[in-house]
Amino acid sequence: MPLIKIDDKEIQVESGTTVLQTAEANGIEIPQYCYHPALEIVGSCRMCLVQVEGMPKLQVSCNTFVGDVPPDRKVEGKYDMVIHTQNNLVVQERKNILEFLLLNHPLDCPVCDQAGECLLQDYSFKFGSAHSRFEEEKRVRPNEYLGSQIVINHNRCILCSRCVRFTQEISGTSELFVEARGYKSKIAALEDRPLDNLLAGNVADICPVGALLSTDYIHKNRIWNLEKQPSVCQDCSVGCNVDVFSRKNQNFRLTARENQDVNGYFMCDIGRYGFHRFEEIDRVVQPMMRNGETFEALDWDKAIQKTAKLIEQAKEKTARIGSPFHTNESNFLLGQMMAGILGSLPPILGEEINYPSGFRISTDRSPNLRGMTDICGEIPENFLFELNDRNICGLYILDDGVDRDLDDVWKDILARMDFVIVQSYAMTDLAKSAHIVLPGLAPFEREGTITNDQGRVQWLRPSLPVQGEAKPDWEILALVMKEMHPEQQPMQDISQVMKEMGAKFPAYKDISFFRLGSTGISLNGSDEA
Amino acid sequence: MSAFKPVLTEYIHQKDCHTLSFYKSVGGYSALDKVLKMNPADVIQEVKDSNLRGRGGAGFPAGVKWGFIPKDTNKPKYLINNADESEPGTFKDRLLMNKAPHQMLEGMIIAAYAIGCQTSFIYIRGEFYKEYKMLEMAVAKAYESNLLGQNILGSNYNLDVIIHRGAGAYICGEETGLIESLEGKRGWPRIKPPFPAIEGYLQCPTIVNNVETLSCLPHIINRGADWFKSIGPEKGPGPRLFCISGRVNNPGVFEEPMGISLNNLIFDRAGGIPDGKNLKAVFPGGSSSAILTAEEALDVNMDFDELVEKGSMLGSAGVIVMDETVDMVQACLNIARFYAHESCGQCTPCREGTAWLVKMLTRLVNGSGTPTDIDMIFEITDNIGGLIDFSKGSFGKTICPFGEAVAWPVRSFVEKFKDEFLKYLPQEKVIA
Repeated sequence: MPLIKIDDKEIQVESGTTVLQTAEANGIEIPQYCYHPALEIVGSCRMCLVQVEGMPKLQVSCNTFVGDVPPDRKVEGKYDMVIHTQNNLVVQERKNILEFLLLNHPLDCPVCDQAGECLLQDYSFKFGSAHSRFEEEKRVRPNEYLGSQIVINHNRCILCSRCVRFTQEISGTSELFVEARGYKSKIAALEDRPLDNLLAGNVADICPVGALLSTDYIHKNRIWNLEKQPSVCQDCSVGCNVDVFSRKNQNFRLTARENQDVNGYFMCDIGRYGFHRFEEIDRVVQPMMRNGETFEALDWDKAIQKTAKLIEQAKEKTARIGSPFHTNESNFLLGQMMAGILGSLPPILGEEINYPSGFRISTDRSPNLRGMTDICGEIPENFLFELNDRNICGLYILDDGVDRDLDDVWKDILARMDFVIVQSYAMTDLAKSAHIVLPGLAPFEREGTITNDQGRVQWLRPSLPVQGEAKPDWEILALVMKEMHPEQQPMQDISQVMKEMGAKFPAYKDISFFRLGSTGISLNGSDEA
Repeated sequence: MSAFKPVLTEYIHQKDCHTLSFYKSVGGYSALDKVLKMNPADVIQEVKDSNLRGRGGAGFPAGVKWGFIPKDTNKPKYLINNADESEPGTFKDRLLMNKAPHQMLEGMIIAAYAIGCQTSFIYIRGEFYKEYKMLEMAVAKAYESNLLGQNILGSNYNLDVIIHRGAGAYICGEETGLIESLEGKRGWPRIKPPFPAIEGYLQCPTIVNNVETLSCLPHIINRGADWFKSIGPEKGPGPRLFCISGRVNNPGVFEEPMGISLNNLIFDRAGGIPDGKNLKAVFPGGSSSAILTAEEALDVNMDFDELVEKGSMLGSAGVIVMDETVDMVQACLNIARFYAHESCGQCTPCREGTAWLVKMLTRLVNGSGTPTDIDMIFEITDNIGGLIDFSKGSFGKTICPFGEAVAWPVRSFVEKFKDEFLKYLPQEKVIA
């Protein structure tokens, strides 16, 4: 294994790694713009130049590979490469490159959405010059829409070409290209093919400066006012890792978070803009009971008592309906609540999309189908017939909040029931047909674990506060169970639920938030050695 | 020197010199006959021994370049004939394509055979329409006569030649920019490594050679490496086409041995400066070489290494002559403008720096310059193309040598004709 020296650090590295990767892995900062680990190396921004001893020019560290050199060519008798990232030559060069990049830049950080997470701002602050020597007129261009959700501010663009490479290599749609030449170069979308693919939002994520902006977020907030919560996307069973940015009780944007075992660096626009669906919904924020055509409010104690009573009267004639939109913990408790039959609502399906880079959008648009099937209990295939066969007279439904058109079979079933208890955060059609509605949490309020279609258990974390009297869904189920089985040890917190879950289902043994961390654990055991 | 007999352009003044029958009548394609019976490795060795250096601009030894082709690869190998001749002041390849297309084709077949290539390309400058037609004809004729295609001259060797027209970009003369363009992409030079000999066209081993370089090959095969080496300086020998333009009585292409003195070229071959004016400055190797003052120019031989020692380069051997009437600031702006227009826009320093230079020089010419501007031009050129002075640090700061190609000449103008730049400053601002 080659031995190299970066600044004063001696490091053993795998042959074939780049200087940039090695430096980053060892806590040495090398500024960079055009380099993105998921994209082909072009080495054009020239920001990551370092000095390699024995080479006449400064080298771009993103494309300088470390390898073994023969003993007679080792530097100082032992190093395969000696690299300087902090010496005067390198520091001066960074300053020069930043000067070039800022020549025509409008320096409009105070009104720029990227401010606060901008590599141009950060590096200028760290490595740049405090004043400009440029006395000429700046190049000024109007903003343009590249697609319906992406706008480009050409004046801020540094032409790193990450976005162009993204559309070529990751989405494979090639809408973007560099137009014109030299100083007149600019990013453009093909006339007849605007940037409207389902991965388009990623270009705003990977833009290192404030050039590419999502119209959804533009001028909505300042990044330092937002709370960043790492979580998992809930819009399909792939389970892309995301960061949710919120303030008070509002989400402002989602960005992809790196997870090499799931989504790489990217996410799709269905998930990215999906949070808006939950903004204007008719929320249920307190327990309610039907009274004729209307509902009346109840307090929690009464609601739980009534629920438990109804179930106990009907006993095994109560069917429970789990949900692939709910966490493993909620589904687990639903399964454990009592004996009897389990079912699920019709799935939410969409088009399956596979991109050349391997990125995919699953046909199953629920986040936790795998978890539900793993952990809830057996769901018979002909569940609807079983309802008849077993003379089921009551339903306990974990509602997923999705407004679906229920077919006549379902409508018949609902009409025939003596009682329907719906645990829901929204006034869906199902909730409207219920006798008791127990207010659960909306997707961005929930915490728990979900399992993606590849069997990776991930930590779903809340970015929004709980509304009204609503309670976490697992807690509602725990309360009902406590009422039904006062002799049993009640569930106090979610980690206790997870422990129980692991005890009943060995595949989920030892699952805890701590162990899931930010990237989750595979049930296949491949990455958990 | 007077005994030198042109090699590449020996027949260009004869009628029908471009035809296959004429070329054959003067011994054309006899080198190919010979090569097809040789071992490819021996052909490479012969070219290595001849010390033939690239005629496109960089002057890299052709045989050494061929030697970089991996021996143990199953990938197809490609030869690309770089006929994108786009360096200002250079017009020798055009002449060779017009007058001796078969000499060039024979060279291509020899090179292709040596590196084991079965498909080769001619990337011809888009503006060269007449030359394109000429090559099309020559290639068709060569196919007809079994000099190209299957089983060339009964040898079991197959080679196809495809002519591809460029679309008018200077940067597509840079070999990796050319390869990108040939692949149908934007002509943005690639970052190296990998070098084209390892991963070039379609990620396969590729050799890019200049028209003139290839045209030398039949002669090296026929007359031997030693003969070639005997012409001019041993480290960079051979006949060379010098393109002389600008303020001379008799501009044109002159074939002379490598190492001829610049003085000789300008005052003897090109007939000196018109109207009895004095020589002021010369670009020895196209507009991307650092300019030489009259004094320097009169004391230099046109040899790769000697010109490097003088802080310039032989480049494409495009000699641009300027007399005392030329305004060096305007000339400098002209050059800067050309390079700003042709910068591909990929690397930060070149894209932004070239335009900055133009803006600054324009302001200077318009009478709004300041004394600091002149120092700034130095700094900017250093920041684009790096220092020429190795002892002071790095040089070459961009993916391809375009950065140097603009930095060196502009810098040399300011360095060598600083007083003319000072004259453009508004008078009250000049500090004695």
